[in-house]
Amino acid sequence: MIALLAVPLTVLSMQQGADSAIAQRLAGRVPPQIASLVGELGTAAATRGLPVDPLIQKAIEGSAKGVPSERVAAALRLVATHLDSAAAALRDGGLPADTLAIAAGEFAITAGLSRNDITALARTGANAAALTVGLRVAGTLAALGVPPAEDIGLVSVELRAGEPASTLLLLPAEVQAEMAKGATAAQAAAGLARAAAAQARRGPPPGRGQGQPPPPHPPHPPPPPHP
Amino acid sequence: MSEHEFHPLVKQLLDGDITLADLPAELRAEGQEALQLLAGVERTSVSMPAVTWRVMTALERRRRRFRPWLLAPALAAAAALVLWLRPASPPPSPSASLVTVRFVLVAPEARQVSLAGTFNQWNPQATPLIRAGNVWTATLTLPAGQHQYAFVVDGARWVPDPGAPAVDDGFGRRNSVLTL
Amino acid sequence: MPPGSQATDGDIVRAVLAGDRERYAQLVERYRDRYARYATRMLGSLDAAEDAVQDAFVRAFDQLAQCKEPDKFVGWFFLILRNRCFAERRRNRTSASLDAANGVAAADRADGGAENAESRRALQRALMELTPDQREVFVLKHVEGLSYSEIAERLSTSVPSLKMRMHRAYDRLREQLRDHT
Repeated sequence: MIALLAVPLTVLSMQQGADSAIAQRLAGRVPPQIASLVGELGTAAATRGLPVDPLIQKAIEGSAKGVPSERVAAALRLVATHLDSAAAALRDGGLPADTLAIAAGEFAITAGLSRNDITALARTGANAAALTVGLRVAGTLAALGVPPAEDIGLVSVELRAGEPASTLLLLPAEVQAEMAKGATAAQAAAGLARAAAAQARRGPPPGRGQGQPPPPHPPHPPPPPHP
Repeated sequence: MSEHEFHPLVKQLLDGDITLADLPAELRAEGQEALQLLAGVERTSVSMPAVTWRVMTALERRRRRFRPWLLAPALAAAAALVLWLRPASPPPSPSASLVTVRFVLVAPEARQVSLAGTFNQWNPQATPLIRAGNVWTATLTLPAGQHQYAFVVDGARWVPDPGAPAVDDGFGRRNSVLTL
Repeated sequence: MPPGSQATDGDIVRAVLAGDRERYAQLVERYRDRYARYATRMLGSLDAAEDAVQDAFVRAFDQLAQCKEPDKFVGWFFLILRNRCFAERRRNRTSASLDAANGVAAADRADGGAENAESRRALQRALMELTPDQREVFVLKHVEGLSYSEIAERLSTSVPSLKMRMHRAYDRLREQLRDHT
């Protein structure tokens, strides 16, 4: 299908590196003008330390779905904007640049979360790997209809408790299970957050909280004087 | 009685039953020596992320096949089933984790159903579903991470998975989300 | 299951026994670090401890049908790990004390400085000279923070006999530390 394009055909001088890698993945899958746009947006993103993959994915998706090129172009520019927002939100949260985390943040924004929501998760102090999972899960919960407050509330409790990825990744299914029993998404998430917070407070028996300082035992002595 | 033995009161101190102040003056020095011994106790927590993967791999080597989760009838309408076969701890390269997923769609009137998503370049021809009665299924092994997908019915109708979370695809439709 | 709760250990054990073996990974993930510190202090080596924890989980899976109270999986698992640690100690008597200095002292840098680091190493070396029973009661009380009655319940023994064991441990530690200072 050839459509009249608002985006003029431009011949880009293809540099080595980002451009040719992008071109390879798009070859034969997208019309040339979309390939150019992805090359342009992608190279700019790469120099800013942003991931390129979300752009490539969206371009391929749009073409496979038979979407007119100007609509694909608009969607691509939106992805680029979301990537920038996600990166800024993570910086505000104190996290050094991590492309997987930024991509996860872009997904979270697409799912309806705000820049502030992403910053809030980053401020839990989770490392990049944990935060990446947390952002993916937060976006998935939003996609289930969990409102942002309950969503971030639940994910941040789990991140602060140092829960492993496998626990976080179970959250959407657990919310869905509760919703199947009649809870709203908000109720389900709030309930899970309360249970997680209670568990974090109780601490694990009997190893008595390996991650926390042990209770004074014996009672803290004054520092012994050096002989 | 050997000179190495702590006085019984000092042992109570070590047990936490009394405090240094409770010791008579002549035992204070020994009490402080005892507490200094305890100061050498190493309490930092220890984490062993590799154990999960190593255990499941060791168990897997003893198996020939594993039985998929059986769907409760209420969930039969749709839903991606996840068969857990994965190193659950943070692996050195995220793509090292693989999860087997079963996709299911109830579509009695469809003549053809396929699956398109980020994992197969959104190609509607790449992954046809197999029909059994009213139920169409496909099973894929996917890397851990974020995936989006939709079903393509009769080659033309893009249908999100009714049982899955959904996001705006940017083109006026919805994609289903699979977070592994 | 009440709303907002996650699967209990009992739920997972029953599911695994019913054939859903992959869910065992959830139990492993839940508890792999719970006794990691105990195993490390008992064996004096992080590597040996990791092997012990792994073996214990595999063993627990094999014997899962014999877990009489699935909701108390963790206590039952602890005993399997404990046996495994005691078996290791019997096997590797000479190498463990070398590992004590190398494998365990890594975390020292975080707090205290050189003197604290040395006293931690010295104590771990001294611990490795105790009998496994003595070392265990010391680790459970002073590293894991359990009370005597909690330890007694866990090990199915009495508080007085634990105290006797511990008090002998205190004396031996004092002897070891004095002889090597």
